[in-house]
Amino acid sequence: MIARYALLALLPIVAVAALSQRRRLAAIIGMGLFSFLLAVVYLLLHAPDVALTEATIGAALITAIYVLAIRRTGRLAVVADEAPGLLAREGDRIVGLEYEILDRFARHLGLDLSVQIVPHRDVAESVRCGEADIGGGGLVPSGGEGALATRQHLETALFTIGGRGTEAGAESPTVRYDGCFADLDPQALYTGETGVTLDLARFLAVRRSETPDESVLRHPHRLGYAFLVSGRRRALHSELDAYLEGLRDSGELDRLIRRFLA
Amino acid sequence: MSRGSRLFHLLVIVSTGCVVLLVLLAFHSETPETAPYGTYVDRSVEETGATNRVAGVYLNYRLYDSLLEVLVFFVAVLGVRHYLGTRERAEIPTLAESEVVRTSAALLFPLALLLGVYLATLGQISPGGGFGAGAVAASGVLLASIALGIDAIERRLRRTTIERIERGALLVFLLLTLLPLPLGRPAMSDLLPKGSPGAVLSGGAIPLYNTLIALKVLAGSWLILRSFVRHRGEI
Repeated sequence: MIARYALLALLPIVAVAALSQRRRLAAIIGMGLFSFLLAVVYLLLHAPDVALTEATIGAALITAIYVLAIRRTGRLAVVADEAPGLLAREGDRIVGLEYEILDRFARHLGLDLSVQIVPHRDVAESVRCGEADIGGGGLVPSGGEGALATRQHLETALFTIGGRGTEAGAESPTVRYDGCFADLDPQALYTGETGVTLDLARFLAVRRSETPDESVLRHPHRLGYAFLVSGRRRALHSELDAYLEGLRDSGELDRLIRRFLA
Repeated sequence: MSRGSRLFHLLVIVSTGCVVLLVLLAFHSETPETAPYGTYVDRSVEETGATNRVAGVYLNYRLYDSLLEVLVFFVAVLGVRHYLGTRERAEIPTLAESEVVRTSAALLFPLALLLGVYLATLGQISPGGGFGAGAVAASGVLLASIALGIDAIERRLRRTTIERIERGALLVFLLLTLLPLPLGRPAMSDLLPKGSPGAVLSGGAIPLYNTLIALKVLAGSWLILRSFVRHRGEI
């Protein structure tokens, strides 16, 4: 008798607890627990038929359906290096063109965007091994094993600052690049003994802060910034590609570029 | 918190309290009102042959209730498949479940299936019935798909076969309820011998109806589950 009353009193408590959960999975488990308690109450009321149905349908089957339904509504995990104008910290926020695109894309999919800032050389690896869904932050990717490059969303170029071996015929195979261009042929990027090669976004940031008295060489390659998507997420890759194409076609991409990189 | 939402919360709490109070009072009444159900309680075992009086009521006296319930479930399955069918088919990634989950799922699958068969075939003499049996069996198939992967299940249980089972069970159910008409009996009356109450083969057509409902619910639930898996992503 006491057990019956205690269970009955527990029901509204469990119901309120389930409803007030912020995490969807916790709320679903709360609902399953509610169904289970209700089944016990039915059993104590000598209604085993109803208890059985409540337990199998309410606690097992419905819970399974809800879990399946929310599986995709999770997070969109992005790893990126900071690239001024594209994706960079500003106070405690992250701003930039790429961040804006990814944020809109995540909302388009109904996901929460979570961006993790990592060193540039770790971005591609993190995407390849599936730790993150998307890599960004001024990448000039060519895909490669385990990762897929999206369409380019912004043209860029490479600049070499302070290199002396850039004259025609010079033979100085010492390459110093900061890992941004791991997918490109290092021989095409040799920069002399002391030079540093940077992409457009980082080059502009450096130029703003330093006096531009070094010798600067603009490389002739036609390049573009793009995102890197994990090779296991082919559907995500094609969705992001389609989303970028839609942004470009509607002219929204140009507006965003003007807004962030005026 | 705004004034309106505080009032709303207060209302919810008060009404929940009232409901709980009512339920507690209902629990407390010592003499349950049995008058309208007296005939069923007294005579259902001898009239239907089923010692499980609940099954006797909903698969004999009130068979039309169960028929409509099956129809409601059929429409629910159609609705889920219609709305999920318009979505792009999601890619099925490789299984991420741990070894523990997969092993226990594989262990529970045959037990769930066996429990489903038990509930469906013995619903006339013990608690059970087709709806619960079908749900248990469908949960079992879901466990198997967690253990083996959805593709392995689809190879053994083709979607078209499942659809045929679902519609076939409904059709046979409908025909069975109409069968007495050409024989000069009212529709939905039980033609099979009652058997001795308590025996496995008793209760007239009740085991048959239970089995049909179980098949229908199993097929329908699995169609809903596989739609969610196929169209909403991973399992």
